[in-house]
Amino acid sequence: MKKFWKTGEPYVLATGAALAIVLVMTITLIGTVVFNGFSYYWPKELVRFELKDGSYALGQIMQHEKNPINGDRRLQLKVANRDVFGQDFRWIDEKEITTRTLPADAMLLERREHGNFFGFLMGVTAEGLDFPAASTPNQKLELALKLVATKNQATRKIKDQMSDLNNRAERIRLKLLKLEYRDKEKNSSEIAELTVEREKAMADFNALNEQLIAARAGITSITAQFLDVTGAGKDIAVFDIVAHQYPNSMSFFAKCGAYLERVRELLLDDPRESNTEGGLFPAIFGTVMMVLLMSVFSLPFGVVAAIYLREYAKDGLLTRMVRIAVNNLAGVPSIVYGVFGLGFFVYGIGGSIDSMFFPERLPTPTFGTGGILWASLTLALLTVPVVIVATEESLASIPKGIREGSLALGATKYQTLTKILLPMATPGIMTGLILSMARAAGEVAPLMIVGVVKLAPALPFDGSFPFFHMDRKFMHLGFHIYDVGFQSPNVEAAKPMVYVTTMLLLAIVIVASSTAIYLRNRMRRKFTTSTF
Amino acid sequence: MKKNFTDKSRRNDRIAEVLIRIGGVMVIISVVWILVMISQVALPLFYPASAKIAASVKLPATISNSKILAVGSGENQQGAYVLDDSGTFHFLTVPDGTLSASIKAPNIPLGAARVVSAEYTGKSDYNLLWDNGAISSVAVEMSSSRDAGGKVSLSHDVSARDELVFAAAGTVVHSFARLMEGQGTVRVDRLVGDRLRVTHQLVEKDFLGNEKRSNNSFEISDPLPGRLSAVAVDSKGHYLYAGTDTGWLLRWDISEPDQARLLDNIQVSVDRQAITSLALVLGDVSVAVGNAKGALSTWFPVKLAGSGEDRRLIRIHTLRPTGGQATVILPSPRSKTLITLDDKEIHADHMTSERNLLTIPLSTPIVKAALSPKGNSLCALDNAGMLKVWKLDIPHPEISFGTLFGKVWYEGYDKPEYAWQSSAANDDFEPKMSLVPLMFGTVKATLFAMMFAVPLAILAALYTSQFMSPKLKGRIKPLVEIMAAIPSVVIGFLAGLWLAPLIDKSILTVFLSIVLVPLLLLITIFFWKRIKINSLLQRLTRGQEFVAMIPLVVLGCYLAFLLSGIAEIHLFAGDFKQWLFSSLGVRYDQRNSIIIAIALGFAVIPIIFTIAEDAISNVPRNLTAASLALGASRWQTAWRVVLPSALPGVFSAVMIGFGRAIGETMIVLMATGNTPILSWSLFNGLRSLSANIAVEIPEAPVFSSLYRVLFLSAVLLFVFTFIINSVAEVLRQRFRKKYGRY
Amino acid sequence: MPQNQQQIDTTPILSVSDLNLHYGEAHALKGINLDMIRHQVTAFIGPSGCGKSTLLRCFNRMNDLVESARVNGSIRFNGAEVNEPATDVISLRRRIGMVFQQSNPFPKSIYENIVYGLRISGVNDKATLDEAVERSLKSAAIWNEVKDRLNDSALGLSGGQAQRICIARAIAVNPEIILMDEPCSALDPISTLKIEELIDELKDKYTIVIVTHNMQQAARVSDVTAFFYLGELIEVGATRKIFTNPEKKQTEDYITGRFG
Repeated sequence: MKKFWKTGEPYVLATGAALAIVLVMTITLIGTVVFNGFSYYWPKELVRFELKDGSYALGQIMQHEKNPINGDRRLQLKVANRDVFGQDFRWIDEKEITTRTLPADAMLLERREHGNFFGFLMGVTAEGLDFPAASTPNQKLELALKLVATKNQATRKIKDQMSDLNNRAERIRLKLLKLEYRDKEKNSSEIAELTVEREKAMADFNALNEQLIAARAGITSITAQFLDVTGAGKDIAVFDIVAHQYPNSMSFFAKCGAYLERVRELLLDDPRESNTEGGLFPAIFGTVMMVLLMSVFSLPFGVVAAIYLREYAKDGLLTRMVRIAVNNLAGVPSIVYGVFGLGFFVYGIGGSIDSMFFPERLPTPTFGTGGILWASLTLALLTVPVVIVATEESLASIPKGIREGSLALGATKYQTLTKILLPMATPGIMTGLILSMARAAGEVAPLMIVGVVKLAPALPFDGSFPFFHMDRKFMHLGFHIYDVGFQSPNVEAAKPMVYVTTMLLLAIVIVASSTAIYLRNRMRRKFTTSTF
Repeated sequence: MKKNFTDKSRRNDRIAEVLIRIGGVMVIISVVWILVMISQVALPLFYPASAKIAASVKLPATISNSKILAVGSGENQQGAYVLDDSGTFHFLTVPDGTLSASIKAPNIPLGAARVVSAEYTGKSDYNLLWDNGAISSVAVEMSSSRDAGGKVSLSHDVSARDELVFAAAGTVVHSFARLMEGQGTVRVDRLVGDRLRVTHQLVEKDFLGNEKRSNNSFEISDPLPGRLSAVAVDSKGHYLYAGTDTGWLLRWDISEPDQARLLDNIQVSVDRQAITSLALVLGDVSVAVGNAKGALSTWFPVKLAGSGEDRRLIRIHTLRPTGGQATVILPSPRSKTLITLDDKEIHADHMTSERNLLTIPLSTPIVKAALSPKGNSLCALDNAGMLKVWKLDIPHPEISFGTLFGKVWYEGYDKPEYAWQSSAANDDFEPKMSLVPLMFGTVKATLFAMMFAVPLAILAALYTSQFMSPKLKGRIKPLVEIMAAIPSVVIGFLAGLWLAPLIDKSILTVFLSIVLVPLLLLITIFFWKRIKINSLLQRLTRGQEFVAMIPLVVLGCYLAFLLSGIAEIHLFAGDFKQWLFSSLGVRYDQRNSIIIAIALGFAVIPIIFTIAEDAISNVPRNLTAASLALGASRWQTAWRVVLPSALPGVFSAVMIGFGRAIGETMIVLMATGNTPILSWSLFNGLRSLSANIAVEIPEAPVFSSLYRVLFLSAVLLFVFTFIINSVAEVLRQRFRKKYGRY
Repeated sequence: MPQNQQQIDTTPILSVSDLNLHYGEAHALKGINLDMIRHQVTAFIGPSGCGKSTLLRCFNRMNDLVESARVNGSIRFNGAEVNEPATDVISLRRRIGMVFQQSNPFPKSIYENIVYGLRISGVNDKATLDEAVERSLKSAAIWNEVKDRLNDSALGLSGGQAQRICIARAIAVNPEIILMDEPCSALDPISTLKIEELIDELKDKYTIVIVTHNMQQAARVSDVTAFFYLGELIEVGATRKIFTNPEKKQTEDYITGRFG
């Protein structure tokens, strides 16, 4: 035993414990995110409680804990029906409960507004829709939903037309501004023409709008009648129902189906209710586009800089200092890049672009405000050191003999570079690129300053000319987490959504960096076991 | 064909070389450019103020012959006006000095003939005191517009302000009239013989909407310690200030309609110099006092120990003395800047920063002077009848090294403090931009995080590099590297919304874990040998011990959780937080420094781990082999041979982790309450420099002081992390050279 | 060794006169005067650090890559000055091939390795390339070993094979001179033997300069041997003479193994 202490084995165990703590923390973090992220979409049973005071409650059990006031067990129930009860959650002491049942006909509604509704379907009223005589309320609801969907198709067409008209009116307005700014007198005829055209577009727009309102009214008049658990009735427009299910009578596979449907919605739909419900499509799209745009800037510059440092620059004091500087830039806080992006890109370059090319729109900024272009450039600057370091390292790991072999055959430096060195360094460059993309995808602080918004009205890429709208603001998964988790009015109700977003972001980043690490390790192995 | 190709490839080579060099140099320049650019934005904070004389015109003889009571100028130095004692405003275009209009003040009170004095009350409003003691109020409007040809045309108007009118009241030397919000109006008259008279004109509305007016007048009866030499009333008509020729400053509360309560009666200068001018600084909290020797100081009421609820005037700021008697103090309408005039100079000082901003020497003494409504231009009439207009450029008067890094006694505070509060609902608020609480917050967060992260990361790195089996190492290392890639917003979110409530529920678990986990470890070590021989653990041979540690850690935390419930009930009367507050007086914030230590620590662990592990692994194997061959145990080898050799590398790992923690934004933003307080308490939140930038910059107007101060804090962050990282990098390169790697 | 062609052409293809080279402060080559005759194998021998590799790298100006190296004096290749700044290094290197101590095949297929020199000079005609590959691989005596796997990576070859691929790669561009910088130092005896046989065959077509510190090898393969010591050329002459009857004491000491 004494020897055991003397040889220091206990200390070894202590260091092992340190590693264990680190690993436990990592696993806990990832586990928490994954568990909460995955379980959110699983249809939970709706439990009906009868309480001692004779009242009823219906909801999903969220958690159990000890009541800090009286020390009894209590449970948190998601009762939904925010518009009726005022809040989504309530605490119930377990000793207050007399019975708990799982009513098979308890329905869960996802609504466009006011969150979910838990209750019992009573009937459906729809003008101009004749239900088969023996149909149950549920069948009626299905029919009504179908009807609403077809009617909605028509309104969507109107909406598309309206958005086209709106775009046209906006383009004309900008053209007018430009003409007026240049020379009002000279362009007067054209201005008059455009004004007429714009007015016509606006008139069409208004006409369509009235059509839309009428159509909407037709749609919203179709309602379904529900009873909540307290027995109070509630009319809900069928149009407002996004999804409905009977979680207590669903089979396992039905639940799986509902789950997958929610995942599809998550990936492909727009968010609802100030981002706390619905999909993440704009945020995913914004993140991906920003990261790609950033790579377009950071990859060439990073690679060129690394080639310069490794292959062309003389190895003097200056080069050494530059190398240290570049290494250090990777350690400069990201918020500093954000501040730089704001001062230099947004107000500096963006402001100049505005005063040179879009003076007629001032003081409304076009490029002189945060946007996807500036965000990408800022992040490119932030991640360029990563690419430089990775490229340099992989160039440095190529043996000198390879370069000499090529040069001795009469190749120029450029030929050697493009035909031999760059192909050999590609895995390293890819590693750097992927790492930089992972970093950019997860970085939030600088983006908050240079162009990310809570809710972007339009994607930075769409069908209207010039397709890529570099000046537009965009949404981002990371910012979504911060915004919904910390700045939304109802944080408790928004939390599950944040977990889902977090899981998605974490998955993207982990997959990307695992790929990078795998590539790098493979490259290392290749170089160290080869014959040269 | 070959020849052409060779030429072409040679040309390509040259072009590529040029391009690559340009590209490379560009990247390097842009690196430097970042620092240059952000410094460039921050630098104007320290630019000196300047005043440029925009015009100097001789008043027409017709005007200068009469008594001039007030002067004024427009915002962009294109127009000026003077008021003579007949109540006529004469508008002049500047710089040519032609008279463009003369407008008589409207609503002249009955029986009034001549204006005795005019009081400027801000925003181009004047209260005119007439010779019969009546008061009327007018608003002067002046604006300039530029037509298509670039010609400037001026327009001006003088309109009556009906809400502020007083009837005749006998001979009055000087008078102040104020609107009292929702209550009516008040006037304070200085009468012959150093008497002060207060008159309230009250308007009361009953529930039917009928107005009842009442007039209430009284003279102040408190004896004056000397002869009255200066009087001032705040803009709401609540307080009356008076200065005497013996240096006494008095303050009355006149907000009640039928009494004046003397609040202060204090000697303001050591040598009993006469108070020659009084003025209220923007915001009405501070009063500026100028004396016959040119000393200028500001005072505001402070709650003193022992004086109960009453507040007493205290000298807060002493500004640079002027050369001669301070005749007039003009408070800026937009900031806490004070313009002081004496016979020889015009001074501009800022109250908070105590900066002397400007000194304009004068050749002739000034009779009347005024600032424009936005404070951009200063107009003055000298005793030779010359009207002068200066364009003032005072970029950031409130910023100085003192306000950024020193203690400042802000309005409403009981003592000088380091404070950060950049904005408030009202415009006349005193911005508090001390970077000290933010730097403190940064240091606090970083230190706590490092205390948590460094031991864990280095020990884990030592284990991974020295004791772990190579096969496992190949799996664990990538795991930690992936941990490094977890976005900080994810860590911040979990810290703020998952960990903080969790710890909030049972804060004792954290402390008990710190004790219990090592304790369990000790017990396990004690029994390790015995357990190992006859159990499944035997399979965990050397290099895999840490696997057995994982359940141990989990078990320790769980035990701590169980025990904390018991401990809380028996030791802390059921509620630790309550106990903390009642017996130690420590407030518990849900998002506190413990959360930050864990979250930020978690973020830097993989960084420190990776670099330290590399450094330790780079110690040549033959060193280890030599030590082992001499019969040393693996711990002795690691501790006495490997770690000392790798120390520079390990140190640089810690430095890089430190640099990363300093600049981390999202975690600090999300896991602390962002309260800029100076407290080392574990249970309080903090605000760091970086989080402060993220919080404030979206609200900061471009090129405002706040915007530039935020850039300055970015410069500080940049420079600080750059130095730390450079030192770390140099250390690491030395270390690499030592072992012939790289 | 048969030396029957020796009399045909005795004009030097490479002629070094009064060559000095400095690495920073260090004087690495001191006043070298040396001629190399067409279609002969010249061997440079001498102890480590005597400057023989440095001299070799002067011939195709590979020393340009070393920043601190300064060269004075003249090297004439077919009468043209090599050291002039105006000299086209690219075509010089095409005419003077080089084989390195460590075999350095590119991470490409065997085929692409061989045609690399041709491709970079603009030859892309498949037939020409195929022909060049076969010719140079045959010349390098490795055709039979690799002809069935021309598209395999050259990195999978053994050390001796890789070195012969490198020789074939040098031959493919049809140089006039092949410089060999200790080509066998990293190889096993059998591979070494193969390379030596190869050198013997190649000298019919090419002029070969070989640096070696294996004296037996110099004796076996070369026609002329030059002995360097501490940056100076001590003695140069017909190989047989140097090895049997050297003029200088230092040469004799080295050859007989008293130092080195």
